[in-house]
Amino acid sequence: MKTLKELSVLIGLSVIAAFVINFFSPKGIALVGQWDTSQGVVTAKEKNDVIMDELEIDDVTYAKALYDSGNVLFVDARSREDFAEGHIKGAFSLPVAEFDVQIDKFLELYELDKPIITYCSGRTCEDSHHLAQLLINRGYQNTSVMIDGFPGWEAEGYSIAKSAEEHTAK
Amino acid sequence: MQSLLKSIPQNSWVELASRWILGLTFIYSSYSKILSPAGFAKIIYGYGLFPAKLINLIAIIVPSLELLVALALIFGIYPRSAVLIVNVLLAAFIILISINLIRGHEFNCGCFALQNSGNQVSSPSTIIRDFIYLALGIQVFLYKQPRRWCVRQSG
Repeated sequence: MKTLKELSVLIGLSVIAAFVINFFSPKGIALVGQWDTSQGVVTAKEKNDVIMDELEIDDVTYAKALYDSGNVLFVDARSREDFAEGHIKGAFSLPVAEFDVQIDKFLELYELDKPIITYCSGRTCEDSHHLAQLLINRGYQNTSVMIDGFPGWEAEGYSIAKSAEEHTAK
Repeated sequence: MQSLLKSIPQNSWVELASRWILGLTFIYSSYSKILSPAGFAKIIYGYGLFPAKLINLIAIIVPSLELLVALALIFGIYPRSAVLIVNVLLAAFIILISINLIRGHEFNCGCFALQNSGNQVSSPSTIIRDFIYLALGIQVFLYKQPRRWCVRQSG
């Protein structure tokens, strides 16, 4: 009985502390997240969430049509290793973790009105959204996110490449 | 020799050491989760074992529970009940990791946040480590003597 009371106190205080911390923390999350890949990119819905539905292209064939138009630049948000193992042919490697180092070079190469589509590893990955937000903040207003990422592109059998050297800002 | 083996678990300094090791470990493990609940939620999602509606609630509550019972262990506030919670959490971690190891489920989202957190979701060494912590936790739980440096032993 005594143990039950102690447990109630400890657990009760923890739950209260948990919700207070979550409420005030800038990193707090929603009570229910979005964990269904058929609904889009999975996310815990953090307060400053980078997932922006209005930027999303959830249809790979539509992305392919834009690709075929020849005017759109595909930008790969994944690591260099992932890029080297396979990427959309002609894509530019801009790992989101290296954004600050690479962005000056990118700005020299591409005008701000260049149509851009970012992608990463699919619907469990939010790096492409993060990258899109960073690009938009730098003035690339014409930026979208292909949420099915490289796996979705590859699954459709569209053209891919495997060299690490092509189109990277070295 | 046999009496020595029996006396070690009931040694008050051993109990204090176990309690503090567990306390510091749990503070450390709660720290990054409290700083990044979204990252922790994604790890929980990656286990592929929880209903979608519960993932965020687990990600919100578990880190605070870890932190509070860790502080309770270190300061000696309801230490026996606190360590009971610790043991239940450790047992749950061991079961979850074992399930994923057995069914060969390895979640890799291919994203930076999870790579940088250095989280190895399922590995045998994690299970061994958790069993060692669980042994310490059981010792603290079964300890019968008055405990050292406790603000409130029970009540």
